[in-house]
Amino acid sequence: MMDLNGVLTVVAVIVLGPLVGGFLFGVDRKLTARLQGRYGPPIMQPFYDFIKLWSKNRIVSSQSQIMYVFGYLFFTVSALCLFALQQDMLMIIFVLAFGGISLIMGAYGVKSPYANFGAQREMLQMVAYEPVLMLAAVAVYMRTGSFMISDIAKLQQPLLFTLPLVFVALLIVLTIKMRKSPFDISASAHAHQEIIRGVYTEYSGPYLALIELTHWYELLLVLGIIALFWATNPIIGIALALAAFLLEIVVDNVEARMTWPWMIKFVWTTGISLTVINIGLLYLLK
Amino acid sequence: MEPTAQMVAVAVLLPLVAGLICYLVRNAAIRAITVLVAAAALIVDSVLLLQHGPFEYTPGLLLGMDWNTIITAADVALLFVFLGLGLYLRNVLVTAFAVAQMAIIGYFEFVMGVHTQVTPVFYVDQLAIIMALVISIVGSLICVYALQYMKDHEHHLHLHASRQPRFFLWLVLFLGAMNALVFANNLMWLYFFWEVTTLCSFMLIRHDLTDESITNATRALWMNSLGGVAFALGIVLMYLDADTLSLKEIISHGSSPAIVLPLALLVFAGMTKSAQMPFQSWLLGAMVAPTPVSALLHSSTMVKAGVYLVVRLAPAYVDTTLSTLVALAGAFTFLLTAFLAVSQSDAKRVLAYSTISNLGLIIACAGINTPLAISAAIMLIMFHALSKGLLFLCTGTIEHKIGSRDIEDMGGLLGRFPVLTIITVVGIMTMMLPPFAMLISKWAAIEASVKMPLITLFLVAGSAATVVFWIKWIGKMVELPPHATRPKAESMESLYLWPLGLLAAMAVGLSVVVAPVVDAVVKTAVVPYYKTAGMAASGMDLSTGVGFIPVWPLFIVLMLVVVPVYLLVRVRTEELRPVYMCGEQAGDVSSAEFRSLLDKKEMSVSRNYYFEKALGERSLNVWANPVAIALLIALVLGVMVK
Repeated sequence: MMDLNGVLTVVAVIVLGPLVGGFLFGVDRKLTARLQGRYGPPIMQPFYDFIKLWSKNRIVSSQSQIMYVFGYLFFTVSALCLFALQQDMLMIIFVLAFGGISLIMGAYGVKSPYANFGAQREMLQMVAYEPVLMLAAVAVYMRTGSFMISDIAKLQQPLLFTLPLVFVALLIVLTIKMRKSPFDISASAHAHQEIIRGVYTEYSGPYLALIELTHWYELLLVLGIIALFWATNPIIGIALALAAFLLEIVVDNVEARMTWPWMIKFVWTTGISLTVINIGLLYLLK
Repeated sequence: MEPTAQMVAVAVLLPLVAGLICYLVRNAAIRAITVLVAAAALIVDSVLLLQHGPFEYTPGLLLGMDWNTIITAADVALLFVFLGLGLYLRNVLVTAFAVAQMAIIGYFEFVMGVHTQVTPVFYVDQLAIIMALVISIVGSLICVYALQYMKDHEHHLHLHASRQPRFFLWLVLFLGAMNALVFANNLMWLYFFWEVTTLCSFMLIRHDLTDESITNATRALWMNSLGGVAFALGIVLMYLDADTLSLKEIISHGSSPAIVLPLALLVFAGMTKSAQMPFQSWLLGAMVAPTPVSALLHSSTMVKAGVYLVVRLAPAYVDTTLSTLVALAGAFTFLLTAFLAVSQSDAKRVLAYSTISNLGLIIACAGINTPLAISAAIMLIMFHALSKGLLFLCTGTIEHKIGSRDIEDMGGLLGRFPVLTIITVVGIMTMMLPPFAMLISKWAAIEASVKMPLITLFLVAGSAATVVFWIKWIGKMVELPPHATRPKAESMESLYLWPLGLLAAMAVGLSVVVAPVVDAVVKTAVVPYYKTAGMAASGMDLSTGVGFIPVWPLFIVLMLVVVPVYLLVRVRTEELRPVYMCGEQAGDVSSAEFRSLLDKKEMSVSRNYYFEKALGERSLNVWANPVAIALLIALVLGVMVK
């Protein structure tokens, strides 16, 4: 699996990933500000934030917190690397989940009311989108006969044509993963909300910087999965992912935050139904 | 004696002898030595079995008597024991099912006059060897743990006379009965040992003789006796349809639609034994027994006998309606019991539901019935036994240390008992996270299920629910008080520490080498019946043809997360801060107190969500049990369709 090309791919993902991801976050903040009638920070602001957080003193409330941050970072990066190496889709979803679970454990790992709340909500978000992601992988299998991403490129026709409903379901997952309204339930980018900053409450300085960094990788992975729906032409694929990204920013600004019971109901009914109907149609038409 | 004969004798007869010594010689030291020696011998024996590989063996005469006659006589005697128990307990169901079994077996043996000589008597193929490994290694370690546990247990109960002799009789005997069950080729023999395990579990569940334990043991008895009736009926029909009682014959001819009805009855029996919905209540009730019993029932014996039979027979029902219905029933139990587990805060109940859920997954795999699915099922049997045995023992130890097994009471356990907590957390991680073998098996199961999209839906939804109840539990345990530095390792009794440590080491270690293990151990169990195993090692990684798992790279990442942080990062006291309380912190920085209304000081408490309303037993059982019953009826009747 790991030849020279593979090593180069991994290095490229680790080095270039944050540059692209951080840039996209900057675009997000700028556009959001404009949509709200503000001028907004410079596009490079996420990088300035990162550097500033990184240079702060280390402050934690328990030693074990630190391990969980690295778990979140390393497993998310691993998932992205596996994606770039065109590996097994289902396994990538599991590895990504390990990263998410590590973040949740970090918030559980301190006796802090706000962090504990955030942990449970983050867990619920994960439960909401996990089945949709896995069913999406199964839907792709129905088309390619394989769980390997490398086999998607061999298709003659973009996945979007045969899996449109799955694509819509993935947009819902993207909203949750980007922690955007109406699903910014465990924590949000906004300055203040009812549970302070949920899962991140007890993190500061360099560790908060690492969490931000992980978000950048995470965003790239989810956008990458979106781009797979037009893998026959990578340029259209990337355009598709960017369009989805812009759509999320607009949705974030026109939607209000909803509650977690609503989220679970919505994703487990609408999201799962979309994928199931799509899979069912493929199964019947086969 | 040939080596094969010795190995079978040790695996089957040694536990019987050791159990009798425990019962007859009422001395704690001799009992401990007996159990330790038997455990060591069983473990060595099972490893030798693995080295030797599959074989067939037919014992000669015993004191001029044919073994078949002995087993038949013992079988009849056992049925009389069940009848006696039914009358003694004044339980209509136990009595009725005992009478029904006597009628069926009596008719078969004496009216039809069938005295089948099945050769070989023992058909020890690779699947049987894997089962023997699970039974002998995990089961033995649990017996060793029980030595310390039962001492503490009786100390807590303030008993005048120890009841340990009888406890260890049934506990150790259980292992022998299980070994015999998986080696047996004659269905009649299998049936006899099946009933012996039912008796053992009944005796162990009611061990404490409280009202609750007697009630629950009785429930376990009648539910398993119902399975026994189905088994007996299955034997008779199998003989009428296939003209043989040899398992080897039944499974080596590939799919045999002519015998689906007896197969369905046997699968039904397997589902009762594996506590599949709607029979889950007997296994949940079984937790009243001392923890080693739960550990044994859930990991290496009893419930594993059920899935063993379902998987064992799978080659005979490939591509039948029965297979589809088996997959559906298993997947249904997998999903529903995963939901039910989310609603529980009693750690043992969470573990129990998780067991039933995983058994459902194994049965679903047997129903999917492709080479990959069967490989996944066998992997699940192996690795579930390790992790679940471990977790039960951990829970028992925690219960002895803190006097509770409620997950909500386990907050901050990491600070008080770091070694025990870390072993427990590792146990849970091996149940649900990549790259541990349980998750890899589940991954293989999902990949195998894609030819039945409905099953896939059940599996992915159930997997999501599984993650919830495990995380909630881990989350509670790893919660550290504000201002916590690295906790100091506690000392643990060596009879607790060693079984826990060994099980944890095996659960992790075998995951690391899962690919070679699959190639060397699992493959040979599947290939004879399915031509391929559906998965293969590629170096240290694992490939299914449609998917690929990089096992080692993921372990390296895991090491990178844990080791450097543990070795290099030393937080200084001045870097620690109290948690954020919105400025309402009361007391000193290391407490979780805050100023509430009227400046009253209160401790901050956070509880997990349990979703009782949506996922509780009251809400789900109302409709889930009827659906499960309908599925089982369809399973037995639906075979007429094809």
